[in-house]
Amino acid sequence: MNSAPVSCNFVNSKMTRTKKILDEAREIKNPELDLVEKGLATFDELPGLLSMEFVTRLTLSHNKIRSIPSTVANLVNLEILTLFNNQLEELPTAISSLPKLRILNVGLNRLTNLGRGFGACPSLEILDVTHNKLSEEGLPGNFWMMETLRALYMGDNYFENISPEIGKLRNLQILVLRNNNINHIPRDIGNLTRLREFHIQGNTIQWLPPEIANLDLGGGRSIIRIEDNPLAPPLADQWILGAHHLLEFVKTDAYKSLYGNAHRTRR
Amino acid sequence: MEVRPQQYKLNIVESGLFIRRQSKPRIITKHDDEWESINLALGTMFCSRCGEGFDPEDKIVNSNGELWHPDCFVCAQCFRRFPDGTFYEFDGRKYCEHDFHVLFAPCCAKCGEFIIGRVIKAMNANWHPRCFQCQMCEKELADLGFIKNQGRSLCHDCNAKVKAEGLGKYMCHKCHGVIDDKPLRFRGEVYHPYHYNCSACGVELNSDAREVKSRPGYAANDMNQLYCLRCHDKMGIPICGACRRPIEERVVTALGKHWHVEHFVCAKCEKPFLGHRHYEKKGLAYCETHYHQLFGNLCFICNQVITGDVVTALNKAWCQHHFACALCDQRLNPKSKFYEFDTKPACKKCYEKLPVELRKRLKKMHDQAAKRTMSSPVPNP
Repeated sequence: MNSAPVSCNFVNSKMTRTKKILDEAREIKNPELDLVEKGLATFDELPGLLSMEFVTRLTLSHNKIRSIPSTVANLVNLEILTLFNNQLEELPTAISSLPKLRILNVGLNRLTNLGRGFGACPSLEILDVTHNKLSEEGLPGNFWMMETLRALYMGDNYFENISPEIGKLRNLQILVLRNNNINHIPRDIGNLTRLREFHIQGNTIQWLPPEIANLDLGGGRSIIRIEDNPLAPPLADQWILGAHHLLEFVKTDAYKSLYGNAHRTRR
Repeated sequence: MEVRPQQYKLNIVESGLFIRRQSKPRIITKHDDEWESINLALGTMFCSRCGEGFDPEDKIVNSNGELWHPDCFVCAQCFRRFPDGTFYEFDGRKYCEHDFHVLFAPCCAKCGEFIIGRVIKAMNANWHPRCFQCQMCEKELADLGFIKNQGRSLCHDCNAKVKAEGLGKYMCHKCHGVIDDKPLRFRGEVYHPYHYNCSACGVELNSDAREVKSRPGYAANDMNQLYCLRCHDKMGIPICGACRRPIEERVVTALGKHWHVEHFVCAKCEKPFLGHRHYEKKGLAYCETHYHQLFGNLCFICNQVITGDVVTALNKAWCQHHFACALCDQRLNPKSKFYEFDTKPACKKCYEKLPVELRKRLKKMHDQAAKRTMSSPVPNP
């Protein structure tokens, strides 16, 4: 048996502890709720939480929560929702109806898809889906419509392709695609003019689109991480010299023709 | 025996109507040397006015060969003797000075006084030479000639000016001709450009020429000089980085360029700084508000400009109270240790809860990145 029965005493003491936190929060109308590592498996163990409209931050990291009820939509003032290290397998569509949600961290879960209509989130600025089981099929059709996004953390997933629609995320400053199975970065990445962090370590990337030179990734306040990719030798040589050298080289006509040839033969 | 009266000429311009003469007669008495010869002919001489003969005891007035009794030699108007014997003659009659002026002398159309001497007849009136002036610039016109313009007498210059204004064109201040093409502006006047040459290379100027206004230390307009465009560009006169025109007034030097005060503006809101503080970023200047809005330390969490204490780490900035573990939202003490996870901070407690395999990879990546930043300035052999 997988779900071993737990002692009633323990459940009771756990219930009382979280209930106490919730009661206190209700009493002083504390807008920031910390429920980290409380052994929670479901929202049912948090009675009344989803009617506490005044909550702006809800942190439920390091629990065992498997799903989020759609009544989460009641938390109309919620801005920050952190569910790092839980056991979520999907997200309710109701997430996208939280009008003020700015930061969603569902890293280290078991998500295979983000749920239908997720891209309708009206205010999302930081989305962290690190270390899940997501691939491009798990992203809803409107995912790339979230123009408010400024940081997207998708490391440690199963992505193989990144849609050219990524070019629509004009406000994106941070893009993490670390440790996936990506072998091609779309040229539309050149539209992300505000990008200043670009992490693509541990993929199967051989070529970088020349458009990457449009971005200011070589500057002092920028980060570009390309390690652990089977880069084509001309790129690898430049990368050894430094990010600045690589970005300068990618600008050249010589590289553009190399890149063009490589992609023509591939087709 | 001839008696010649002294002649004074009145210079009357453009008039053939009058013969005006001021004369002084000769009075002959028996003590004069001429008396003997005249006395002999006494019986044949008569007074020109009354026709009577002369007694040997009488004085005789002789004017131009005619003879009068002294009492008959009087003004034709007031019948009194001429003071000092000076008379004016008109149409065969003789007048004293006063009556001659009253009856015949012209009056000046400007000052209303009699005109003795030179009379200017113009514009259907008489004028003293000093009273006949250009009605715009008050220059005396007697010797310059004049032009009638809409009932006004004008000098040639003023007439050309009026005419040019009427045509909507400029009038050259040097040759007074109408300027058909673009004028050259110099020291507050307009000229045909071809009257001047470049102060540096001597080439004849065109309207592209530049007037170099008084440089610092020289306030006077007449210090200004003209240069052809080529020489002007070579003179090191600062060129505005915005409008590309020379800067002749105050120069703002910033971002390695020169600017007109009003052209040195915030790259975002385009308002001039006008001496207020500006912030430079990537070759552009910004006002305080927009610099902070665009580059200032925006907090990674709240995305607002950080007004209080700033925590900077991992290529990001935080409001001090927003600096927290990215995984559990617990506040971090900026001085205490934290771990890097995708260039976000993670507290020790969270980091230790990560799967061992992930922790290993994170450590490896962190070490790789650290090594690169250490060694990147020196290319690998």
